[in-house]
Amino acid sequence: MSLKKFSELFGDLDSINSTNNKIEVLKNYFLSNDPIDNSWAIYLLTGKSNKRFISGRYLKNLFSQIYEYPQWLIDTCYLKVGDSAEVITLLLKNKTNSKKKKLSNISLNELLSVTIPALSKLNEEEKNLEIKNLWETLPEDNHLIFNKILTGTFRVGVSIGLITKSISKLIKIEEEIIAHRLMGDFKPSIDSYEFLINKNINLQELNSKPFPFLLANTIEDKIFNSSINDFQFEWKYDGIRMQLIKRSGNVSLWTRGQELVNDSFPELVEKMSHIKDDFVLDGELLVWNFKEQIAFDFSLLQKRINRKSPTRSIQIKYPIIFIAYDLLEINGRDIREIKLENRRIELEKYFSKWQIKTENNISDIFKICDLIFPKDWPDALTYKEKSRENNTEGLIIKKKTSIYSSGRKKGIWWKYKVDPMQLDAVLIYAKGGSGRRAGLYTDYSFALWKDKELIKFASAYSGLTNIEIKELDKWIRKNTIEKFGPVRSLKPEMVFEISFEKIQISKRHKSGIAVRFPRITKWRKDKKINDADSLENAYELMKKIS
Amino acid sequence: MRTKQEYLIRYKDGNLYCELADIWIDPSKPVKKALITHAHFDHFTFGCEEYISTKETAILLKERVGDNIKIKTFEYGEEFKINGINISFHPSGHILGSSQIRFIFAEEKWLISGDFKLQKDQTCKQYEMVKTDYLISECTFGLPIFKWDESHKIANDISKWITNSPEKTSLLFCYSLGKAQRLLNEISQTNFKGNIYSHDSIHKMNNSYRELGIDIKDTIKIENKKKIDELKGSLILLPPSLSKGSYLKNFKNIQTAFASGWMSIRALRKRSGYDKGFAISDHADWDGILEVVKKSEAKNVFFHHGDSEALSKYLVEKESINVILFGK
Repeated sequence: MSLKKFSELFGDLDSINSTNNKIEVLKNYFLSNDPIDNSWAIYLLTGKSNKRFISGRYLKNLFSQIYEYPQWLIDTCYLKVGDSAEVITLLLKNKTNSKKKKLSNISLNELLSVTIPALSKLNEEEKNLEIKNLWETLPEDNHLIFNKILTGTFRVGVSIGLITKSISKLIKIEEEIIAHRLMGDFKPSIDSYEFLINKNINLQELNSKPFPFLLANTIEDKIFNSSINDFQFEWKYDGIRMQLIKRSGNVSLWTRGQELVNDSFPELVEKMSHIKDDFVLDGELLVWNFKEQIAFDFSLLQKRINRKSPTRSIQIKYPIIFIAYDLLEINGRDIREIKLENRRIELEKYFSKWQIKTENNISDIFKICDLIFPKDWPDALTYKEKSRENNTEGLIIKKKTSIYSSGRKKGIWWKYKVDPMQLDAVLIYAKGGSGRRAGLYTDYSFALWKDKELIKFASAYSGLTNIEIKELDKWIRKNTIEKFGPVRSLKPEMVFEISFEKIQISKRHKSGIAVRFPRITKWRKDKKINDADSLENAYELMKKIS
Repeated sequence: MRTKQEYLIRYKDGNLYCELADIWIDPSKPVKKALITHAHFDHFTFGCEEYISTKETAILLKERVGDNIKIKTFEYGEEFKINGINISFHPSGHILGSSQIRFIFAEEKWLISGDFKLQKDQTCKQYEMVKTDYLISECTFGLPIFKWDESHKIANDISKWITNSPEKTSLLFCYSLGKAQRLLNEISQTNFKGNIYSHDSIHKMNNSYRELGIDIKDTIKIENKKKIDELKGSLILLPPSLSKGSYLKNFKNIQTAFASGWMSIRALRKRSGYDKGFAISDHADWDGILEVVKKSEAKNVFFHHGDSEALSKYLVEKESINVILFGK
C-alpha cells in the first residue's frame, strides 16, 4: 500500500468536521490497508511520534540551497503559512515533476521504518542529497506528509478516542477494550495491530494497563438544585493525575496521557510494591510539603516529571506523594461498577489495613485524599474560596451513586475552580501566530504601570473570539511603532482584562512577578491606558493570597 | 529619473489616474471619465459621468447595475484617442470581457494589466502578451507559495468531493461573476452528472454569458422551498456572501466548500469556516506574474492590489528589473 493512501486519509480527516464521518473514513482506511501500514497510521495519528529528524529551519535552508531561493523570500512565505513543512511543500510544487525521474511508490511502513531512520546515519552532505532525491521521486501529493514527519510536526484533528471508536466499529468489540489496548506504549508493528484488532479478549493482556480515566466537567448551575448530601467533596489538587497499579506483584504508574512513568518516580514504585494486595488506584501525584501537609507549587513537580532515574538528593529535595481518591480494582476484582460511596469505604478499609500491615512505612509517600463536608452549597462556596490557602485549585464534586465510567461523562464528576485572579493591562507587543493563526497577529504581550512606565508582565494567546482577533489584527497593523522580525511594538492604547491562576515572585522577569495560565478575558474598550493596573496592584494581589 | 508627477499614469487618492487625458482607471469614487477593466464590483463605482470598457464588460455591468449608466465601448485591440493619447483594450484572461489597458503617448508605452491570469479558461479570451515600457501589474498572489493546479484537476477534485458524499447536499461558494461560470464549464466535463443548482445572482450571470456566446451548462435556479430529498447528492453554487447567517438553514445535511486561490494555504482553509477549500483562482500565480513582467519587456514596473514587498525585492535582486514604488 502506498504512502498516497495515507496522504489521502490525512486530507480527508483534515477537511471533515463530523465525527461520524471521520470514524467512517478511518474504518475504511484500516479495512483497505496492510496491518503494518495501519499500525504506523495509528502511531502517527495519535501523536505518538513527534520525533524531529530535522528542524524546520534546516528544511528551509536546504530548500534555499538546492533551488537557489533567497532565504528572506522563504521567511516571508512562512509568515503567511505558519508551518515550515507546508511552506516547503507549497514551494516544491511544480518544481520536482519536471525532472522526469521515476516516481516511487513507497509504503508508509517503508518510509517510516527504513527511509527516514536511515537519514540520521548519513553525513550532512549525503543527507541533503537523499532528501532532495526523495523530494524529486515522491509524488507531489505526499510531500506534505513527508515534510511533516521529517520535522516532527505531523498533527491532525484526530483524538485517541476517535481511533478507538473506529477500531471498535471495525471489529465490533466494546470501545473500553480497544481503549485499553491502545493505552501506553503502542509500537508500530504487525503484531501490535493484530493485537489491537484481535476479536478474542484476553484478560491477561490487560494486566499492566490502566483503565480509561474518568474526567470531571466544569460545574453547571443546575447542580445547586440537588441535595448537597448526594455528593462527595474533595480538594482539587494541582498535580499530575495518575493511576497507580499493582497486579501480580508488579507496580506500574500511568499518567492520563498514557505514559508509563515508573522511571521518574522510583521511590513510589518501590514502596508500593511492599503492599500485599493487588490494586488499581486513581489519584494525583504531587510534590508535598510534609511539614505543613499541603502541596508545593506545580513548578516544583515540573522538576521531577521529565527527569528519569532521579538521584537520591533530587528525591529528598522534591519529595513526592501519591494521593489516592479512588479504588478501581482490588485483588483482580474490577469494582468500577460499584457506587462511588461504596468504593470510598473499600478505599478507606484497605488504606488502614496497608498502613498497619505493610513492613515499610508507606505514609511518607502515599495517602488517601481527605473529604470535605460542607453543610450546604453556600458552605461549599466558602470552602472553594479557601482553596488557595492550601494550594489547591478548588473543589472536585462527585456524585456518590456514580460508577467509574470512562471519559468526560456529564453529571458524574464536577470541578469547581476558584475564580481566577485578574488585572487590567495594556497591550504593548504583538507577534504573528503560527499554524491555524498564520498571517494574523495573535500572540500578545501585556504591561502594567510602574510609575510612568509600562512594564511587560504577561503574554497571552487565548481568549479573544475570531472576530475580535481580526479586528485587533487590523488595529495592530495600523498602530505599529516598530517591527523586530515577527514582533511589532505597539502604540499603548488598548486595555485588556487578563485572568490567571497564580502569581508569584520571579527574578527572571523584569516585572519581578510571574503568572500562571494568563489569558484574555475581556477587551476593555471602555478603559483608557491610565485606568490599567500597576505592578503595585499585582504585588498587593500576591500578598492577599499568601 | 522623473518625479512622480511626470509619469503618464500615477496614483492619486488611491486610484490610477492619467492626468494628460484626465481619465481614471477603475476609480473607487465618482469621476468624470472612467476606464473599467472588468465588471467586478470592486472595480466599479456608481456616479461617473462616462464609463469606457469592452463591449462584454458593458453588457455584464448593465445586467448587474441597470441600464442607467453611460458606457462607451470598444473592441479588443481597437485604438481610440483621448487628448493625443492612444488607448486600447487587450484580453487579460480574468473573466469574460476583462482587459488590460495600453496607453501610447509620444512613443512611450504604458500597460495596466488589470486583474489577469494566464491559465486556460474556456469562458473568456486568453491573456494577450503585450509589450510595454512601463507595466502596472496587480499582484494579489505575489508569493512563490502560490502555484495553481490545472483547472480540470480542481474540477475533478470537486466532482469527487460531491460524489463521495451522495447523502449530502454540496454547497460550493464562489464569486457569482466569472468564477462560477468557469467552474460550471469545468465541472460539466467531469464525471459528476448530478443536478447543479445556482443562486439567482449566478443564474443571471450564466444567462448573460450565454447571450455573449459562451457555452455554459444549464443550471436550476435554487428556490428556498426545495424539498430536502431532491437536493441530496447535488451541487449548489452560491455567492460567498451567503455563507454566514441564516441562509444555510434552508438546507439540511450539507457540506460546504469555497473556491478561491487563498484556499491553497491550510491555515486559511481552516480559518475560513468552510469544510473544504479548492484552490482555483482567476488571478495569476507567482510564476504567472513573473512571466508577464518578463515577456512584457517592461523596464519599469509598478505593483498594486496586493502585498508587493517580496515580489519587488525579488525582481530587483534576481532579475534586475526596476520596480518603482507608487507614492500613495
